Amino acid sequence: MPTEEQGKPFQRILLMIRERSKEGQLVSTKEILQGFKNQGLWIEGKQIAESNHETLLSGMMKEINDLREIPDQEGHPRYYSSLLMSEAYAKILIRKEGDPLLLITNTVRESSATCSRPTPISLFLGPPFMLSQEEIDTCLLRMREDNQYQDIRQTTTSIGTRFLYSTLYLTPDRGPMLAEWIDVGQVNNP
Amino acid sequence: MAKYGGWAGKVLRVDLSTGRISKEGTIEKYKDVLGGTGLGYKVLWDEVKPGTKPYDSENKLIFGVGPLAGTGAPSNGRTAITTIYPTCWPKPLVATGHFGGDFASQLKYAGYDGIIVEGKADRPVWLSITDGKVEIKDARSLWGQGIRRANLDIVQELGPTACVAAIGIAGENLVPMSTIINNVSHSAGGVGGVMGAKNLKAIAVRGSGYVRVAGDKGEWEKVIKHHLSLLGANNQHVVPNSPQPWAEFSHPGVRWVASKGRAWGAAQPPIDTGTCDPHDLNRIAYRTNNAAFYLGKIAWQYTVRGNGCTSCPIRCHTLLRVPYLPEKYGNGITEYIQSTCVRLIFGRFLYKSFADGVLGRTAFDACMVGVYLIDDLGIWDNYGQIERDFIKIYYEGIIKNKIGDAEFKSYSWDKYEKGDPSFLFDLIPRIARKEGELATVLGRGTGALFDQWGLSEGEWKKDEKIGYWKMGHPQHHSNLEAYQLGAIINTQYNRDVQCHTHTNFLRNGLPIKEQKRLAKDLWGSEDAVDDIGKYTPMNINKAKMTRWTLLRKELHDSLSLCNWMAPVVASPLKERGYSGDDTLESLLYSLATGEKVSREELDGIGDRIFCLHRALMIRDMGTKEMRKEHDTFPEWVFKDPQNRAPFTPGTTHMEKNDLNLGMDMFYNLLGWDKATGSPAEETYKKLKLGYVAEEFKKNGLLL
Repeated sequence: MPTEEQGKPFQRILLMIRERSKEGQLVSTKEILQGFKNQGLWIEGKQIAESNHETLLSGMMKEINDLREIPDQEGHPRYYSSLLMSEAYAKILIRKEGDPLLLITNTVRESSATCSRPTPISLFLGPPFMLSQEEIDTCLLRMREDNQYQDIRQTTTSIGTRFLYSTLYLTPDRGPMLAEWIDVGQVNNP
Repeated sequence: MAKYGGWAGKVLRVDLSTGRISKEGTIEKYKDVLGGTGLGYKVLWDEVKPGTKPYDSENKLIFGVGPLAGTGAPSNGRTAITTIYPTCWPKPLVATGHFGGDFASQLKYAGYDGIIVEGKADRPVWLSITDGKVEIKDARSLWGQGIRRANLDIVQELGPTACVAAIGIAGENLVPMSTIINNVSHSAGGVGGVMGAKNLKAIAVRGSGYVRVAGDKGEWEKVIKHHLSLLGANNQHVVPNSPQPWAEFSHPGVRWVASKGRAWGAAQPPIDTGTCDPHDLNRIAYRTNNAAFYLGKIAWQYTVRGNGCTSCPIRCHTLLRVPYLPEKYGNGITEYIQSTCVRLIFGRFLYKSFADGVLGRTAFDACMVGVYLIDDLGIWDNYGQIERDFIKIYYEGIIKNKIGDAEFKSYSWDKYEKGDPSFLFDLIPRIARKEGELATVLGRGTGALFDQWGLSEGEWKKDEKIGYWKMGHPQHHSNLEAYQLGAIINTQYNRDVQCHTHTNFLRNGLPIKEQKRLAKDLWGSEDAVDDIGKYTPMNINKAKMTRWTLLRKELHDSLSLCNWMAPVVASPLKERGYSGDDTLESLLYSLATGEKVSREELDGIGDRIFCLHRALMIRDMGTKEMRKEHDTFPEWVFKDPQNRAPFTPGTTHMEKNDLNLGMDMFYNLLGWDKATGSPAEETYKKLKLGYVAEEFKKNGLLL
């Protein structure tokens, strides 16, 4: 921790946010305020009233450069440290709290757009997504039936791995070729 | 005190015909070419006459290491083994095999920068090097033993810190497709038979010295820490393959496979690889698990740890413990298997399919059996070519037509077609023993299919799937992933190009937008690199990157920096904009040796070494017409299986005029003649290779 942060009333909360970010978790306002309360904060010999805890939080946000805020599904802020968590990861965590269909489609579109790469469906089984195969299968079915997701295409590589890509960003010529390259070509050309 | 640090100062010369052992000064003879491949090329130029055959006693086998071997520089475990290659077809020419492990550092600690092995012993011998004490020892008790046994016997004699580079039965039997292996799994391909022809079973090295770093020690430590801070996972992949808290990007195709929940299951206790924040330098070794990358998730449960070379935190050789192997497959197979890269997948690659898929248990077992056999018998896979050839010649009925009925029936083809790993015990030992027509042809390499079986090389050059490039060898990171650059570099060597400079960058996992931003700084324009499946016409910046790619390859091979990790021109660090440091090689060289050089000056030495390699080819082929006679492309490079036009999204196939323009630009940047592909006289002189120009003047090979 930078020395200028030591001794601040929010030092322990800051540590908690950073620790949780490192572990891949966001922190809610409620958790922070509860933390302040548990600490029984004192500044210059005076205890800070609970009604001032939100002011302390906004002060902490202004003062600490790596603290970031991201709105959750209801628009409430969640906090993380940009030293230890990327915005991309924080977005996944927020999406994870909502409809798994949106989690999958947004991830696939972003990956196709930003990185020009299809997404293996198996990615959603592991962290941070942790969807079950049943949830994934349900989403794939819903995707096929909903006009909003007709840009999401599925392609299967020569060794049977299923990938998704968005035709908004990758052409049907390129999406399957990229999936085959990622899944088979790179391994066969070590 | 020696003027220069880095180098040990002596090169060992061992004449096996006479038993004479001598030492000569490295600096006086080889400093201009650094070491490694440079040293090997220089010895061949000075001492081996054109027309020398691989197994002639006049051929030499040069083990070269560089000034960074044995220092604290990351990934410095490389040894280059240079000789006239037995698998180079139709005419054997210069090439190099490379291995990692601890051989390079032990050699330096014993006081040597290289070993020149010449002549031929009159009986099987092994070479024992313990510091200043060098002895040629009787190897009759080792001859006929596998590499593991030979290794064990010698280590028992010399002690556990000795590093043993040995050949297996394949090398003893002069099988061209054979390896020299040290530390049981670090192999150099194509050179085992040359060692066997010299009746040399093994070289064992144990050193108790050190490598002196001439520069400021504090500065050296700073550069090492800086270098470590920029490292990614194997092949310098700088993003993880699944989302991690710290990572802005992830890419499913990269070798950074660590993640919470993915554990080395056979470690005791199992170790979770975790999120591996790139700032945590004590967890670099957890990032890579090449068994899991190549063999799929099944490998995690059997992973003990990553193993690797001297001073390399990457540990790309995964050590696996598979307890059921001995009982299931017998034949002496051990439960511990260790390997990486193409050798790890040899067993699987040899089959067309498996009932439970390529990531299933059977394929996994095939890989384990394959590693066990080829690493003990010392067989080379030629970057997967032997496997691709085998599938083609079996399923096209060529084997059945070319070998006698009795021999054909002696193989258990039903097992092969079913994907049964035990078939490997039927085939692979026969290759090592040259037993029968099929095994002998496979052991000679792809060229044997053409001159012994009369198959057409042209057919091999038509088919992208067979992966063949030319001269008996396959493509290696070619146009299939690096377009014009990949195609051009694949023309330049007498075996597969073994170059990772470019692919370490192109496959690093960063989005193309980030790669282009870095490319602008490195090669002058974003246009130097293309997005995969979306390549653009040739331009001068691509040519600059091509030149840089090959010069750095030669530099790494000569300095003893691993070209499977270097260069480090991208990093996992967002705060650096993902940039690495293109000056690392020159920083390390300057501090280690005490001779301060800039990046450009060091690249100039790489240019000299690459040009000397070119000169050797010109001399030994006896022609200046390299563009026409040597630097050729197979037909498949220009043929899209789906008939898509060049530059169409999704294709990786080239346009002839565009690629010819690329060759023009590449030759031009090197100071080579565009028409012939031969270096100009002034280029030789500029690179301090005037002696080459003088010789070529005499025999008409100068432009």
